[in-house]
Amino acid sequence: MKRKLQMVLSLMLALVFVFVTACGNSNNEGSTNSGTNGTTNDGTNAAETAEPITIRIASGDNNPSWDDMNSDVGKAIKEKTGITIKQEFPVGGTDSDMFALMVASDDYPDMVMPKGSAGKLVDAGALIDLRPLIEEHAPNLQKIYGEYFNRLRWSEEDEAIYTLPQGGVGQTYFDAGGGFQLQHQVLEAAGYPEIKTVKDYEAAIKAYIEKNPTTPDGQPTIGMSLNGGEWQILISVTNPAFYATGAPDDGEFYIDQETHEAIMHYQRPIEREYFRWLNHMNNIGLLDKESFVQKYDQYKAKIASGRVLGLIDQNWDYGEAENALKAEGKFGSTYARFPVTLDETFQDHSFQGTGYIAGYGVGITKDAQDPVRLIKFLDYLASDEGQVLVNWGIEGQHYNVEDGKRVIPADVQEMKSNDNNTFKKTTGIGNYLISARYGDGVKDPSGNYYTTTFPEQIQASYSEQDKKTLAAYGATTYKDLWPADDAFPERKYGAAWTLPFETGSQANVIFQKTQDIMKKRIPEAILAKPEDFDKIYDAFLKDLEDADVAKLNAEFTKMVKDRVALWSK
Amino acid sequence: MKPLTEGALKAEVVQKRNRFWFKAFQQRYLYMMSLPFVIWIFIFSYVPVWGWLTAFQNYKPKDSILNQTWVGLDNFIELFQDERFYIVLRNTLAMSTMGLIVGFTIPVIFALLLNEMRGQFFKRSVQTISYLPHFVSWVVVAGLVSKMLSTDGGAVNQLLMWLGFIDAPIQFMAKGELFWGIVTLSDLWKEMGWNSIIFLAAMAGIDPELYEASTVDGAGRFRKMWHITLPGIRTTFMVLFILSIGHLISIGFEKQFLLGNPLVSDYSEVLDLYALKYGIQMSRYSYGTAIGIFNSVVSILLVFIANGIYKRVTKESII
Repeated sequence: MKRKLQMVLSLMLALVFVFVTACGNSNNEGSTNSGTNGTTNDGTNAAETAEPITIRIASGDNNPSWDDMNSDVGKAIKEKTGITIKQEFPVGGTDSDMFALMVASDDYPDMVMPKGSAGKLVDAGALIDLRPLIEEHAPNLQKIYGEYFNRLRWSEEDEAIYTLPQGGVGQTYFDAGGGFQLQHQVLEAAGYPEIKTVKDYEAAIKAYIEKNPTTPDGQPTIGMSLNGGEWQILISVTNPAFYATGAPDDGEFYIDQETHEAIMHYQRPIEREYFRWLNHMNNIGLLDKESFVQKYDQYKAKIASGRVLGLIDQNWDYGEAENALKAEGKFGSTYARFPVTLDETFQDHSFQGTGYIAGYGVGITKDAQDPVRLIKFLDYLASDEGQVLVNWGIEGQHYNVEDGKRVIPADVQEMKSNDNNTFKKTTGIGNYLISARYGDGVKDPSGNYYTTTFPEQIQASYSEQDKKTLAAYGATTYKDLWPADDAFPERKYGAAWTLPFETGSQANVIFQKTQDIMKKRIPEAILAKPEDFDKIYDAFLKDLEDADVAKLNAEFTKMVKDRVALWSK
Repeated sequence: MKPLTEGALKAEVVQKRNRFWFKAFQQRYLYMMSLPFVIWIFIFSYVPVWGWLTAFQNYKPKDSILNQTWVGLDNFIELFQDERFYIVLRNTLAMSTMGLIVGFTIPVIFALLLNEMRGQFFKRSVQTISYLPHFVSWVVVAGLVSKMLSTDGGAVNQLLMWLGFIDAPIQFMAKGELFWGIVTLSDLWKEMGWNSIIFLAAMAGIDPELYEASTVDGAGRFRKMWHITLPGIRTTFMVLFILSIGHLISIGFEKQFLLGNPLVSDYSEVLDLYALKYGIQMSRYSYGTAIGIFNSVVSILLVFIANGIYKRVTKESII
């Protein structure tokens, strides 16, 4: 009897444990959360600031050169602020997956750089309003945004500031990273012909490939390759349709500059002609057949092998592969960039002004332990001292001051331009552009530029090949080949690709559908036989209409007009 | 008459009930011991079903689940009206059915052949080598497959050209109609050895006396395979088969996601990928949940149907 009783008792005890732990857990979470929120709102004093903490930042952009705070600049920041950053990047899927899962699990790191997913996080109540924090603790942030401070406001209804835009304020573009790319050796062999239209571009590739069907090491040369297998189809295939036909990049929409009416840009008749040209390139065998099948690493591997004569891409997308070529000393296979258009009547609108576009930014989440400390951290990075540190590095190590001017020593510059991946990883320069900052061309109180991108520096970073090619076209930077910044009036809505759809709204669903249609139909049309091209393009436009693109256009027009109204205040 | 029979029935019911409680009391310790596991299953498998409520709401993560707007069946109506849904459903079922057929017949044949081997060392090494690909991640397999099938020096194209079957390389990865086959074959390569292990184990469990007796009766090798080995693994085979039928609709999306590209999306997109794209990625949790409910209901139905057919044919039941 006694033994039985013991058994029953121990069983019950075990059950009680199960319940206590199950319930206890949820209670605990709840109380710690509210607890920390309560204390942090009271603010922390200065003495605490030095206490080392580790914060998690989720970044929507992958950065293979991230240094885990082990670089020179990383160590300096850690020493100065006591903050160690753990960065998290999208694994496998896209950045929107990462943030969607974050919302679904309701578990956030301290800070986020959500790119296009900011709206999602705001709708989920995940980001805290930075306005009071900035006004109280962050003089440097206020100084930087200055007259554009009102552009940080979320919307007409919600005046909160959820993200600090990371784009440089007062940015002047000294170099052009986009356009159409051709290898230097192609240009040299053709005697530096004029590259203005797609016909010129095509002719240069054609002439070279006929003479050089294989590379010196025996691999077949590829006329041109597009990064169309993954999301960069937008960068490498569809955005150039804007540029080649004289329109600025406004995401997936073409916006009438007078009336601010938006239409999905594939609906412009002229863009059909651009895609027809790509179809033609495929037909004559100059377009890489794998353009729409290859994964990003296959694309980069091809470029790094030096076999691809022409690209249509942005420097930030193909730069890593080009760096590999530079590291090997194959400068002839690196690329020059040109503003190529469909014919002479068009001008490339890449640099049509936007004002400060207040685009993608960094936000602090509701799970952050100590928002005040974080805003002070961001404020430090935005201070004159902080900006010089993240852009230039450490004095005496990465730059010297000669006659009051900051100068990058030759060996550092050499590594920076020719082995940029290693440079970024060891020095940390370029890895900490987390906070607000001034753009290229803005000078600090000492009379030096905040960033390392200014005319002299850009020229210094060019390889001998770049300089040779540019000299042949009578230019000092690639930017010189583009129409000047003030050639076109400023866009009143900034850039339309920064406009977020309301999460899960009908317009958002239609947009997703049009994207799926586009990703299938555009490659199909380009790879089709020329006589079938029109048939497929018509089917594409019809698919868009069936997905109710008219409704989407109307909705987007309204968003653009609202933005214009908000920013003109 | 009437009241009497009713009374008798009642008495019988009461007696039955009493017998149940009596038995339950006798076995009270067994019940108590099983209780923690029942609770465990309840907490982890049934409590989350609460989340299904979101399928009938316009769920916003900001507020609690009881504090949402209710939309009735709107999410389901939208789902069943979307053409895309039927395309992805077709792809899902096509690929899983192909995978089911190929993924069962080939491993069984492989196991049969391996079972007939005499040399233990050879048998073991073949078995080990054949199941190793199971441990390779799909990311790597997808890379291998696309490299093999590439037009730019891919082994398959080069072989076909060398044999003279084709004049120009074929863009395997860009042809939608080939996609199902590519997925099935790469899955077969990866999982064949692994799937055959369990059949080999079942074969090892067959009583050797049966083989000896049939030798005496004059049966040859193939007779023995047909009349002893195959019937010997029938139960194992059917259990696995019916369970996989339950998974027909939820085949995951790894392979399709990694091997697919926009050009073949009409053939490569599966239900889970659709749920990810139009559900979670766009923060439409309710819509995603609606797809999940559809998934579960169809899976349960499929298992019961398969079991029902099996029961009718063989008079045995698995579940």
